[in-house]
Amino acid sequence: MAEPMKIRATVKGDVADIRVLIAHPMETGQRRDAKGELVPQHFIQSIVVTYNGKTVYTGQWSQAVSRNPVFAVRVRGAKAGDKVSVTWVDNKGDRRTDEKTVDAA
Amino acid sequence: MAWLTFAPALVVLGCAAFPDEQSARVAGESIVAQAYPGMPEVLTRRAVQDPPQRICSKIGPGKITQEEAAEVIRLSRASIKYPASGKLVGDWKTGAALAYSGVGTRVRDGKVEKVKENGALCSNCHMLDPREVNAGNLGPSLAGYGSQRGSTDAVTQYTYERIYNAWAFVPCSNMPRLGANGHLTPEQIAHVVAYLIDPQSPVNRK
Amino acid sequence: MRPDFKSSRHPRPRSLLRIRALRAVAQRARAATTVACAVACGAALAQDGKVDPLAVGRQLLAEDNPGELWVQRGEKLFHAKRGPRQVSLEQCDFGLGPGKLTGAFPRLPRYFPDTGKVQDLESRLLTCMVELQGYARADIVKGAFSTLDHDSDMEALASFVASRSNGMSMNVQLDHEKEREMYKAGEYLFHRRSGPTDFACVTCHGDEGKRIRLQELPNMTDRKQIQAVVSGWPAYRGTQSTVRTMQHRLYDCNWQMRLPDLDFASDMSIALTTYLNYSGNGAVIQAPGVRR
Repeated sequence: MAEPMKIRATVKGDVADIRVLIAHPMETGQRRDAKGELVPQHFIQSIVVTYNGKTVYTGQWSQAVSRNPVFAVRVRGAKAGDKVSVTWVDNKGDRRTDEKTVDAA
Repeated sequence: MAWLTFAPALVVLGCAAFPDEQSARVAGESIVAQAYPGMPEVLTRRAVQDPPQRICSKIGPGKITQEEAAEVIRLSRASIKYPASGKLVGDWKTGAALAYSGVGTRVRDGKVEKVKENGALCSNCHMLDPREVNAGNLGPSLAGYGSQRGSTDAVTQYTYERIYNAWAFVPCSNMPRLGANGHLTPEQIAHVVAYLIDPQSPVNRK
Repeated sequence: MRPDFKSSRHPRPRSLLRIRALRAVAQRARAATTVACAVACGAALAQDGKVDPLAVGRQLLAEDNPGELWVQRGEKLFHAKRGPRQVSLEQCDFGLGPGKLTGAFPRLPRYFPDTGKVQDLESRLLTCMVELQGYARADIVKGAFSTLDHDSDMEALASFVASRSNGMSMNVQLDHEKEREMYKAGEYLFHRRSGPTDFACVTCHGDEGKRIRLQELPNMTDRKQIQAVVSGWPAYRGTQSTVRTMQHRLYDCNWQMRLPDLDFASDMSIALTTYLNYSGNGAVIQAPGVRR
């Protein structure tokens, strides 16, 4: 089971700044382990951010994204108390969804 | 009742005493002796100080006496060995590769890293080729070394000896005693000498 | 036996991608309006109004420090019933009494009567994992430094415990005779030259504005610079994609100095940490920090 994401969501004016920190190995498939064996690819393939249930961001990621990635999106027309939900799915079928309520700045 | 107010003050003073330098040294050496359990003797021996290292570890500027400095110079001079061929100037291109290599003699999991040959570590601390920005500044810039000094026998010998054992010239300087410590061979040092003084070397090209 | 570092020793090319991504963010930020930039970049704005892209990257990493994931994991590990005895670390005493974490880290290293030793954060965690949870010391030591193939509980636990004192000041006391002994031994060791490169710590960390190649070296004889160092360890290291503790920092310096593998939780490491932390008293703890 994947570790939970760390999500920060703060609203300033009417713009919500959403920062997501994801625990994931993001293996490229090119690294060798201590025994010299290639470590199989293991990376997040898709990521979806919904805002009050409405999809505001979808991404198709690849193995080029770093280990434990951080990413940010901004949403207009936001207010404190709104609900953010982030879901990722990786190439092994693992998935994780975490939610956060938007805080006032 | 004056003693009552005095007593706590005395206790505080008594407690606050730090061990003297000699005790710190004894404690420190015993700590070093226990820092590397399970490591082969050939490696733990590296942590044992030789007499010049002991002198050069004194804390604070001006702590080394004239006699101690002279002793470091004497021991360092005595350590210098020359290539069997007698040639103190090798090939500057070989020297260039050595000067920019920082590998060799590092230890991981009790084993010395496998490298073709030890690097001379120069650019870690010195600017050499003035066009190469990736150079340290722990030591002075050596850009233009040969064009400033020429390549007389005296310069060549000084340069060779300075790399072999820097402490023969500046006792306790920051520079590793690369030849005396066995990190570089006399032949490797001759190549680095060539890189520093050859007019064709990038060190000396304008 | 120590874990194999082959995979984690060298900067992973992909950490460059993170930097590249941050640069891209910086470029976008530059293109954005001043108002948007004030939100995103804040302090990264130089005086002349130009954006320093590296400063933006550093600030983004500081704001969303991946080290937080280690704190999260460390907190779970701390409270979980684990080890042969199936107990948590909640009764572990870091010097302020069992389970008291807030304010414990800034006082370390300190003398612990139960072990009769001066201990730093990691060696104290080691004691608790052995004495309370029943783990074999050798097993914990073997796994204390993570690799890309293996997570370290020690790194996560140290991040968690240290972070409980964030915002507090480093405040090593040296009340006990043994603490003063360790401090003086640390000072001695900081200046002690040995090995094939004749290095002591002070050789590289004793002067202003020095670099090894392009890597800037903190002057560890200057209180402000010592404070900047000790405030941010344990630290998330971008080049290694993991949190490292001060134990690893000293292990790695020792490696650069061409000395043999420094034993985990050795008195050598604790003496140096005592010397540095005491010299850095007053530093405001912000752990885990972010380092290259």
